[in-house]
Amino acid sequence: MLDLVIRNGFIVDGSGLPGRNGDVSIKGGKVVSVGGRAGEAQRVIDATGRVVAPGFIDPHTHYDAQLCFDPYAFPAIEHGVTTVVPGNCSLSLAPLRIDQRDSFSRMFRLIEEMPEAAFDAGVDWRWGEGFGGWLDALEQNIALNVAPLVGHSVLRMYVMGPEAQSRAADAAEIRAMADLLRVCLDAGAVGLSTSFVDIDEHYRPVPSRWAAPAELDALSAVLGERDAVLQIVHEFYDTELTIARIEHLAELSLRHGITTTLSPLFHTNGNNTGVQRVMAAVEAARARGAAVWPQVQTRPIDISFTLEQRSLMLLTMPAWWKVASIRDHAEKLAAVAAGRDALVAEMNAMSRRPNGGLGAGGFVVREVVHARNNDLIGRNIDDIARERGTSHGDTVVDLALDEDLGTWFIRASIGHDNSPVVGDLLAHPFVHVGASDGGAHVGSFSTFGDTGYLFSEFVRGTKSLSLEAAVKKITLDPASIWGLKGRGLLAAGNAADVVVFDADHIGRGPEIASNDFPGEGVRWIRRQEGVDSVVVNGEVTWSADAGYAPEARAGVIATRD
Amino acid sequence: MTARQFVFPQAGDDLATLAARELPDLADAAQQLLSWNLHLAARRSTGLLPSDVVFTEPPPAR
Repeated sequence: MLDLVIRNGFIVDGSGLPGRNGDVSIKGGKVVSVGGRAGEAQRVIDATGRVVAPGFIDPHTHYDAQLCFDPYAFPAIEHGVTTVVPGNCSLSLAPLRIDQRDSFSRMFRLIEEMPEAAFDAGVDWRWGEGFGGWLDALEQNIALNVAPLVGHSVLRMYVMGPEAQSRAADAAEIRAMADLLRVCLDAGAVGLSTSFVDIDEHYRPVPSRWAAPAELDALSAVLGERDAVLQIVHEFYDTELTIARIEHLAELSLRHGITTTLSPLFHTNGNNTGVQRVMAAVEAARARGAAVWPQVQTRPIDISFTLEQRSLMLLTMPAWWKVASIRDHAEKLAAVAAGRDALVAEMNAMSRRPNGGLGAGGFVVREVVHARNNDLIGRNIDDIARERGTSHGDTVVDLALDEDLGTWFIRASIGHDNSPVVGDLLAHPFVHVGASDGGAHVGSFSTFGDTGYLFSEFVRGTKSLSLEAAVKKITLDPASIWGLKGRGLLAAGNAADVVVFDADHIGRGPEIASNDFPGEGVRWIRRQEGVDSVVVNGEVTWSADAGYAPEARAGVIATRD
Repeated sequence: MTARQFVFPQAGDDLATLAARELPDLADAAQQLLSWNLHLAARRSTGLLPSDVVFTEPPPAR
């Protein structure tokens, strides 16, 4: 008898071919048959009127920390995500020496915007130092599949110690890193991630940025030996630098036969030709035979912030950053009062930037503490400032102080919000849909729901992609790019990662505040819309009727071909 | 489509040595190079990083 049959659904198998009606049957965690009428099973899901597709693959995440205390990467699974790639942007939890945990943690928490209390409470380092140990620990308690990257910055730290962040490596150190990378790849890493943009809490470039090209070349050679992937986070805010990185990636791809991916690629209305030029560079690389995949996210860029915690929005304003970094509330309040002039000046300077639009005036009051301020919700600072006759900076500080620093502000539609243009970009055959940043920037925006948004905005809305093309973009395409063996396609013998959804209603719920992380602090999440069931390696892990299956732990470390 | 001509720094490089090597015939080469690489001008305190892209020709006309 079969374990599970998903009966009478509209099967969109991930290949991009037209969907067809039929059953999907599963036994022993594998797909047994696709299409036709399946036999009897211990459990049946009625999928009449629903799409049955491979589980979605999220290729750009930072769930490294969250997975240590949350096996579901909540709420990723309910959106249909069954496989995630953590360890992006040069940062993975291993390999890391015990005495490097503190400095690494500070770096990770800053760059990925993970609340300190949550990180410290949730990451117990039970695996010791090695990459294989980390994967072993992870695999004992995960409800979705993990295809991990190893971070270039941590490789450098492991081999070079503190000097990883002050100089290039010598030949012996490069050899040691290459050997260590081999160990990580053999343990289950799908590739190496590196960063050309990130800084630590002292504004110092992260270790990977101190690597000379010869180092990255040597590590890429190892990736070539193991058929693994190179991921970079590039200077995404600068078209010229992005194109230069693409050219460099193309050289590495051709020299070592590797697949490379860069993330993120955004569209902004202020630089309409930038994306076109970047894609022309990608096409030129492709024409040479190089595998260079830009990752494009589906959602527009919105950033929320409060003075209660650090945020991307405050990163370039040192006085604000300093205040937001203070953990003690009374101390923070005192610092706002004492530093008011500097805070106001920084905020007003932001409003005067040539390309800043309304600058701080464009911040919208999102949530208030006191009911007496309810009428401010939804209004922007420019509007409130005009009414009060105060500057933008004074208005923000006044409101924050009035509310004991609890006010939430949002800067919406910063970019990537021209749906017809973004839709065309997502549909481009050389674009890799990803860059969700899942598990990171938790206080700035929700990283959940990008897959649902792909269907609601770009399949049903702009009609940039067909249903089948959209499914392929987040199933077979990422599985092929990352070499994930037996995933991304509903076919006999493949892993039974399946999502059942309503094509007319799949989407993303509203962004809501959640206090579910360990320790204090708010994060932003979105719940699913229009998803019925999610199956991970044959186990029904989430369903609209029953929610999360409490004992579901069918996730594995996803292996490469 | 190709990138603007660029190089990576060599060991021990600062902008002056890199400029002298890449633009030997240009007066004030380092300043010229800096003007073509505003991403470096914005963080001069750190100096050149080994992974920095340094453009050795001006930006394209817009």
